Amino acid sequence: MAALNTVQTPSPRPGERDAASAASRRLSGIFGSNLVGLLIAIAVFVLLFGFFANGFLSKVNLYSISRSIGIDGVIGLAMMTVLVTGGLNLGLGAIGVCSAMGVGWALQSLGLPIAVSMIFGVLLGAALGAVNGLIVVTTRLHSFVVTLATMSIFFGTMILLSGANGFNALPRVLTGFGRIRMYGVVSPLLLIMLLVAALLFYLYRYTALGREMLAAGANPFAAKLSGLPVERLFVCCHALCGGIGAIAGVMASLRNGAIVPSMAGPLGADWLLPAFLAPVLGGTLLTGGGVSVSGAVLGCVFVEIITRGLYMLQIGEFWIQTALGLVLLGAILLERGRAAMALQRSIGR
Amino acid sequence: MNAFRRMLRSDSLGLALVVLLGGAALSIARPEFLTAYNIDVILVGFCLTVIYALGQGVIIAIGHMNLALGATGCLVAVSFGGAMQVWGLPVWAAVIFGLLIGMFCGFVNGWLTHKSGLTSFIITLATMSIFKGISLGITEAQPFYGVAESVKAFGSDRWGPLPETLLVALPIVIGLAVFLGRMIPGRQMLAFGGNPSAAELSGISRARMVILAHTLSGLLAAIAGMMSVARLQLASPAIGDEWLIASFAAPVIGGAVLSGGHLSVLGTCLGVLIVSLINQALVMLAVDPFYVQVLLGALILGAVGLNRLRESRMGNAPVLRLS
Repeated sequence: MAALNTVQTPSPRPGERDAASAASRRLSGIFGSNLVGLLIAIAVFVLLFGFFANGFLSKVNLYSISRSIGIDGVIGLAMMTVLVTGGLNLGLGAIGVCSAMGVGWALQSLGLPIAVSMIFGVLLGAALGAVNGLIVVTTRLHSFVVTLATMSIFFGTMILLSGANGFNALPRVLTGFGRIRMYGVVSPLLLIMLLVAALLFYLYRYTALGREMLAAGANPFAAKLSGLPVERLFVCCHALCGGIGAIAGVMASLRNGAIVPSMAGPLGADWLLPAFLAPVLGGTLLTGGGVSVSGAVLGCVFVEIITRGLYMLQIGEFWIQTALGLVLLGAILLERGRAAMALQRSIGR
Repeated sequence: MNAFRRMLRSDSLGLALVVLLGGAALSIARPEFLTAYNIDVILVGFCLTVIYALGQGVIIAIGHMNLALGATGCLVAVSFGGAMQVWGLPVWAAVIFGLLIGMFCGFVNGWLTHKSGLTSFIITLATMSIFKGISLGITEAQPFYGVAESVKAFGSDRWGPLPETLLVALPIVIGLAVFLGRMIPGRQMLAFGGNPSAAELSGISRARMVILAHTLSGLLAAIAGMMSVARLQLASPAIGDEWLIASFAAPVIGGAVLSGGHLSVLGTCLGVLIVSLINQALVMLAVDPFYVQVLLGALILGAVGLNRLRESRMGNAPVLRLS
């Protein structure tokens, strides 16, 4: 019986909230309301900004939007993979920067070929993520405090090892790749994001591993009772998050043309807002067990369009942060309202 | 034997030992550690950190968290400076204005958390971005320099060997200890943190507790923000940027249980002292400042692990809940 108690960690509080989210999950499966709502919102804002913000639909701007969507989309998808467990990863930015620095080290100091360095970076990210996961499942502490601590540890260690020096002599192929424009407006970074999204979609929709991750996240206790290795699955989720975070770190370096330790702010905390905005807007459940890959992608598109549009309207870049906070707040409150309505409707039936 | 066991169980004994031994070791390794200047540096840092650490502590006590703590402090600091420089308000009015803003920010966090029934993590992530954006927006990332002389003097004056800011920090620490230990709303808050459903069944209002704790946290963040202004002699919109880790580290090292229901004010103070001791030690031993981050992270992990272990030793089934 003792083994059964091992999976309480990320489980949300039992009670009405579970019922509400379960109902909303069912209903959003039927109506897909999140996606439709997001699509309409995106269309409305594109039209608005197209009319009022000078140069919003220019090629330069669209290209720049596509590049940001690529990077922030991967960041959001990375967070989504760990939200599946009902936990989170504050250290995503730190892992991304650490892995990018690892790639730089492999390329410049070890002189490894590009492909090998990239694989090394992703594995490093996955390993750091797995460390988070292992600590979470063995100590049964909430991932918030675990990743708060490891974020500080990972980032500090990286700075100590690198002496806070970046890598700026990247091979031409890589710096050139960040600047490629396809059809004048599409960055290859966007395609990488779509590829990651497609793989995740496949994972959660069609593979046993993905379904098991969702089941374990939705109700760890029930999953354990039905014989799933919940701990191992959670470690996998955290490792997946780290690996995708590493990809995002490398992508951000490709945009900058150099790998710098400060690219995600102090302790990599600048990634937090984009990381949560995209999946939460897309309808991923914070309580675990429910993901929407296409929702996360659309959520990220929505956020980038708002950011860029407000920027072009010259309302002052500092107010954009306020606007994004309001968007996040509005989205979660809207989601709550819909869940409550869904519950009422399911009771009334 | 019983008294001994109780002492072992208390949060503070081990921590006090760590502070004493660490201080002793440091003063042997580096005799200049015990100079008045050094102690002053530690005390000045202590006064600020203890206030925002308690601001996080009261939220941890009800099993929530407040990511917007630093952003609240920042918004208050900036409005405090702006009220004096742009509006020309007298200091007392600016202080009241700042306190009201802080309490309002906290109230918004609490109200939204309660009304939405969502985890405070995501709510305060959103409000963090809102508050921070507002402070950057109204200052355009430039500090206000027009801080009144009396405020500057408060931040830099010494009262004998002690910094004047201790006059604010000490009453807050004592007041909070009395509030949580002896007063009805404080006891109710801890009871609610320990087991919200049981507390609700015994007639404690959930809404009132959540909003009370968050408003208190906003108030403490406001005081810490204005104290930073006094210390820096200017109202910079960068105030509060690096509060997050320390604000969790100190209460957790002090024995606070993240699932709520327990907060030791004395333990938090000792936790702050340990953090500043480490900072100081690494400065004096000329170690890279980034070791501080690694150590702080390791310390948080170690402390929460230890708390968890003690919890299960004491027979309390660990209830994990982070809403």
